[in-house]
Amino acid sequence: MLVVGLGSPDRGDDAVGGDVARAVAAQALPGVEVVEHEDPTDLIELFSGRSLVVVVDAVRSGTATGAVRVLETGVGGEPLPESAWAGTGRAGTHAFGVAAAVELARALRRLPPRVVLVGVEAAAFDHGAPLSPQVAAAVPDAVDAVLRATGGAGLPTAQGVGTDVSR
Amino acid sequence: MSHKLTDGGQVMHVGTLARVEGEGAMHIEYRDGVVTDVQLRIYEPPRFYEAFLRGRSFTEPPDITARICGICPVAYQMSSCWAIEDACGIEVTEEIRLMRRLLYCGEWIESHALHIFLLHAPDFLGYDGAIEMAADHPEVVERGLRMKKAGNDLMDTVGGRSVHPVNVRVGGFYRMPTRLELRALRSRLERARDEAIETVRLVAGFDFPDLEQPYEYLSLRAENGYPIESGSVVTSSGGAFAVQDFTKHIQEFHVPHSNALHARLDGSPDPYVVGPLARYSLNSDRLSPAARDAAREAGLGPTCRNPFRSIVVRAVELVEAYTEALRIIDAWTDSASPSVPVPPRAGEGFGASEAPRGVLFHRYVLDDTGIIRDAQIVPPTSQNQPSVEADLRTMVEAWSDLDDHALLHRCEQAIRNYDPCISCATHFLDLTVDRT
Repeated sequence: MLVVGLGSPDRGDDAVGGDVARAVAAQALPGVEVVEHEDPTDLIELFSGRSLVVVVDAVRSGTATGAVRVLETGVGGEPLPESAWAGTGRAGTHAFGVAAAVELARALRRLPPRVVLVGVEAAAFDHGAPLSPQVAAAVPDAVDAVLRATGGAGLPTAQGVGTDVSR
Repeated sequence: MSHKLTDGGQVMHVGTLARVEGEGAMHIEYRDGVVTDVQLRIYEPPRFYEAFLRGRSFTEPPDITARICGICPVAYQMSSCWAIEDACGIEVTEEIRLMRRLLYCGEWIESHALHIFLLHAPDFLGYDGAIEMAADHPEVVERGLRMKKAGNDLMDTVGGRSVHPVNVRVGGFYRMPTRLELRALRSRLERARDEAIETVRLVAGFDFPDLEQPYEYLSLRAENGYPIESGSVVTSSGGAFAVQDFTKHIQEFHVPHSNALHARLDGSPDPYVVGPLARYSLNSDRLSPAARDAAREAGLGPTCRNPFRSIVVRAVELVEAYTEALRIIDAWTDSASPSVPVPPRAGEGFGASEAPRGVLFHRYVLDDTGIIRDAQIVPPTSQNQPSVEADLRTMVEAWSDLDDHALLHRCEQAIRNYDPCISCATHFLDLTVDRT
């Protein structure tokens, strides 16, 4: 299975996807590949041939900053509402966000059986800014959400097995 | 949204424009077929880049300004490198210029393929967006994704990363890609070039509203080839000036309704246009034979003044970008030094390149230790903003017989004709940010 940390490392809370992905990679779970990307349209390529993909991204839905939100979809799943993840994907192609990439993959019959979106409610996307304190504090919760989705439940295993981090 | 005013006038308002880069809104008021107000409102958070750059080292702008935009980072890197090298009195080698051009081809490919297939084509094929279009025309969308991927691969190989390249420095590159690495891209680029030629045929068959822009066109023109990474400035009325004289001819000014500065050419109250239509109309004689043939087959003359046909010009520019990338790769010999030394000196420098959306200009003033004392960035979308508004004015008046829905759709399409990168255009924040 694949974990994708999405977002720009240089735009404030948008970096949270990558931060969570690296924390997951550090757990070195067997059979879990971890990558970081900035452009949501890359997801369509990344979905190919996968049975489970977990996407971590900053989200702006109007809830409390730092709240972790999990949405699940997949081949047989419900389409994502237009509003879902509407405020994300600012890093790469804002015009084409995560929800659009997922639904485009569905239309192209490229969506994996299971896709889990883990969103961390963001507050600011200023250039060069660090994570907001609430977002930084939410990283462990988001990591747990990813691990639950992978079935790993946060149990650390042998280091360096089947895990790869690339940009 | 569209509603009647009590005095019989009508207002069209789109709160958040779809399928454009960044966040913007459109507001049009018209009465009795006459437009009384047109505003393209841009309300991305502020970009105080110019202030942020002051006091930083002259080596930093390529990395810092690349982060202004996830779509055109190479444009920012190239324009800033040229400007700083100009300030320091350094000229890079021909090989470095060619490698910059190759990297830039990757950016044009990514940006144009995204815009043509995922953002603009749905307008012409009658879909709300790429997702709906993909259900009926999956092969078209798959082709677009493949063509874009070839650009990503090129950016990865030359730039070190497909989104914000990390291999660019003042004076050149940290490392030149090897001939072997470049040749590995060849088959993908060849296939994509053939698909781009098919794409020109596809989009040339779309139905285009009749509209001719009377505005001045402005682009770079290079000594050889189609303008991409460098050149001097030319205009459709015969104007020609060096990049060093850009600020003598282009004045920026602030308008209350937008965060983006507007720009004016030689004090004229009329708008001027940068981008694919301007580039093509001023340089179609410089296209490669493959791109020129594709343009001719698509029915394009030596100039193109219909903004709706910009999708055809972008497709022709894709043919040019793949062809040019292949040409540079085939001639690459692994003998070039990756960079030239750029010792700092006090002075002012100017740089410009053709971002996918048009001319991007940078100016820097350095002190003798290389600290930036002043910085100015003029992005293409702010230059185009007056012409976008003028187009909207013309269109609403010309097509006032259309029903509200059709007229509104056509106005949104008119904005997408420019592929506006609102993220790049923003300088000030003096409007309320609406993110509901």
